[in-house]
Amino acid sequence: MSAALDLADIQGGILRAYGRQGFPKARYLFLNVRDPAGGRAFVEALRPKITTAARWKNPDRGEPLLRTRNPRVKDVVRAEGVPDYPGEVQLMKPRVAINIAFTFFGLAALQVPTRTLRGMPDEYIDGMEQRAALLGDDIWLDKRDAIWRNSRGEARVHILVSLNAEMNPDGTPVAELEAETQRVRDLCAASEGGVALLKGHGPDQAEYQEMSAILREENGAIWPTNKEHFGLSDGFGDPVFKGQLSGEAERLRVVGGGKILPDQSWAPLATGEFLLGHADEAQEIPGAAMPIEFSRNGTFMAYRKLHEDVRAFADYLDEQAARYARLFEVDHAQSRETVQAKLVGRWSDGVPLIAAPTFTAWQQFNAELADAHKREDKPKLAQIALKFTDFTYRGDPSGAVCPVTSHLRRGNPRDMIGPRFPADPKTGDGSVLVNRRRILRRGLPYGRYDPAAPSADREHGIIFLAICTSLFRQFEFVQQQWIQYGLDFNAGSDTCPLVGNHDADSKLVIAADPADGGGSSGAGRPFICDRMPQFVEPRGGDYFFIPSMTALRMIGMGIVDPT
Amino acid sequence: MPSFDGGHYFFTALVPVCNRGIVEHEGMKSSPIHMVREALETLPTALQSHAAEEVGIQSPFARSTRTHFCRLVVLDQPFYNGRDRADALLSALEGTDLLKAQAHDVLACPYLLVMIDFDPADPSGSGEPRAYLEHLWGLMAEELRAVFTYCYDFSQVRDAASFADFLLPCEVETTMPFNDYWPGAPPLTSISTLLLAALPLTGLVLPLVGAAMHRWSWGMGVLLGIALLILGLVVDYFLIMRRGGKPFPSADVPLPRVLKALYLQQAFTRFAATQQDGDPAAAGAAFRGFLDAHRPDDLAGPTQKPAVIRSLFPGAAS
Repeated sequence: MSAALDLADIQGGILRAYGRQGFPKARYLFLNVRDPAGGRAFVEALRPKITTAARWKNPDRGEPLLRTRNPRVKDVVRAEGVPDYPGEVQLMKPRVAINIAFTFFGLAALQVPTRTLRGMPDEYIDGMEQRAALLGDDIWLDKRDAIWRNSRGEARVHILVSLNAEMNPDGTPVAELEAETQRVRDLCAASEGGVALLKGHGPDQAEYQEMSAILREENGAIWPTNKEHFGLSDGFGDPVFKGQLSGEAERLRVVGGGKILPDQSWAPLATGEFLLGHADEAQEIPGAAMPIEFSRNGTFMAYRKLHEDVRAFADYLDEQAARYARLFEVDHAQSRETVQAKLVGRWSDGVPLIAAPTFTAWQQFNAELADAHKREDKPKLAQIALKFTDFTYRGDPSGAVCPVTSHLRRGNPRDMIGPRFPADPKTGDGSVLVNRRRILRRGLPYGRYDPAAPSADREHGIIFLAICTSLFRQFEFVQQQWIQYGLDFNAGSDTCPLVGNHDADSKLVIAADPADGGGSSGAGRPFICDRMPQFVEPRGGDYFFIPSMTALRMIGMGIVDPT
Repeated sequence: MPSFDGGHYFFTALVPVCNRGIVEHEGMKSSPIHMVREALETLPTALQSHAAEEVGIQSPFARSTRTHFCRLVVLDQPFYNGRDRADALLSALEGTDLLKAQAHDVLACPYLLVMIDFDPADPSGSGEPRAYLEHLWGLMAEELRAVFTYCYDFSQVRDAASFADFLLPCEVETTMPFNDYWPGAPPLTSISTLLLAALPLTGLVLPLVGAAMHRWSWGMGVLLGIALLILGLVVDYFLIMRRGGKPFPSADVPLPRVLKALYLQQAFTRFAATQQDGDPAAAGAAFRGFLDAHRPDDLAGPTQKPAVIRSLFPGAAS
């Protein structure tokens, strides 16, 4: 029996991603505190507006399972008439969700006591720039946006105010977004130099980081999508932890989202992996900054601006597809989709390779999906929805279906790095070596590009947010060991084919199925994507503490008492 | 397990450092162990990270193609972790005076912990570790002098033989060597558990059978049974310890074979990637070309240098 989470004490955007809750637009504002009292007054002024995790009613929500192209597991629950979120409904959904987070130096600038500060973890104190070598960012430091290059002294990033907004039918953000932005500007002005809004995002030195879901026009209406600039559907496999969902939703979503037990069943991860002050997967409440009510229900977040070189990605896929088409005697379009899917681990629309191992299987999957949509066959759609996350790698130890070094398997290796993988299903280790390395992935794309003329250097990419209680153990480990290295997958120094650092030796080995046999059509032969160019470059970011509402009050009132 | 195991020698030594007086150097006055630390901290590490590659100064241990791993550590004092744990109630009953400090052991001087895994000159391991220590002195006498110069008795060291004479008395047995070169389980035979169980059980049962057959009294039978049971367990213990003391079988991977394997892995990956576009009819000739160029069986042929993170091929990333 686990106690229900205190939803109104936890900031919004942690338990569920705003991007998938009908907030396809966002602005992230970064501030510097120059006067402690002024800074605290700013926090106090903003505090009543902060969006929490408390359940709300959304009057504009569409018909479950039919409202999106890919059916979602949460809709399966809703279609059954059961709430997918815990707690009671006492609120209406806001037009703009407002949240706040702090860097270590931000907390120091607000005069949080030394005894509390020294309880903070090393990596958070260091900040992302100091951790560059570990993250593989060191070679990109000069390419960061000005706000991150200049983040020191009176230009140091102290506070992040995030505004996630709904969208007008024409694809623009709701007017409330500009109103809330103006409120932050007014609060800065009222602080008389106590708090300053920092400029320097992108080539135009913008005063905030603008973000937007990639939009799609259909039947004259504009819809947000779950695509990013490479054209890939994103955001399927988020961790599921205790207390995050209502009973029925947890029962369904834990499959593919939770942890795998040795008997191959699924269970939610421990709350303490994502919220401080709760027991974690090591079966303890880990040490945290004191007093404990300062840390409890708070968490840490890595903010990363990742530039996507759309042209390099498109050109490379074309080049490799031409080669693949020649070797495997298939047409260019099929080759391109296949090479891309092998690199990512999912087909471009998010269908996992494990669920649809070949191009033909994928076409069939989509034909079934389209048919179910046409017939409004909700039970079938519910069944399909589960396939996006419900899989393990037990049936594919060699990676012949989904390469072991694909982006998907690196980010969350599920059951594949257990010492007894892929032994007898009943004696495995489940995901025990992965459970302490999970992160909640949040964020939205930024910028735009013309699909007809994909560009290399223009302003487009994603804002990647990783939320976890230990940036060191979770986010940094995944980035260093699984994205920028390959030893855990027996792949030497190979890095992630999608987001890793690449040099002239970078490659992705697409293993062949040994059972396929040889043949002139190329069946049974591996394919090596070699000389991969850089696709994704970090453009800066930092580590933030997202306090609970209790901690935020203590920070704002200046009454944090660690004794 | 012994120091010679799996075909490799795992040398461990604890060398006392004479940390008395001061050393005058470059206008400073330092303790001898300070100088040892400085010598160790400025000893170049192997070029096995991108940062070390940029520095480009290779570890002196890389001059030997017999050295697998080497670690040098300064042991100042064992950490005192406080009083021995005791139950508070028991301590009270025993009248333990908690104000009276418990004795705890300290080292009389700092020690240098030396751990080197190396290939023996003779596969049987005979003549080691002396042969290796003499070999090492021949390759890096100057660096060894800087590290060991403040150790007791180092003043006796004149040449390779006296360096071995100096270090050998400090050797301790390596009880947990690290064998990493068996790709699967090595061919080990285990003692039959049936035999292990049979020895003490027979010892127990036979005297009881004798008693049942009225050879001797039941009391005698039980006593004799227990005695023979214990004897059987003692024999089992020695059987197990003797088997456990045997060296792990050799995987036959001296360092040059490791380097060649690493080299071939990289060379073949490149070959496989470039061959994808090749004409299948020419694949045989290309592979023969690969064999000619890289000579897989020839350890003296093209190979990876010791103590580097990768082999550099034409057109490779720098």
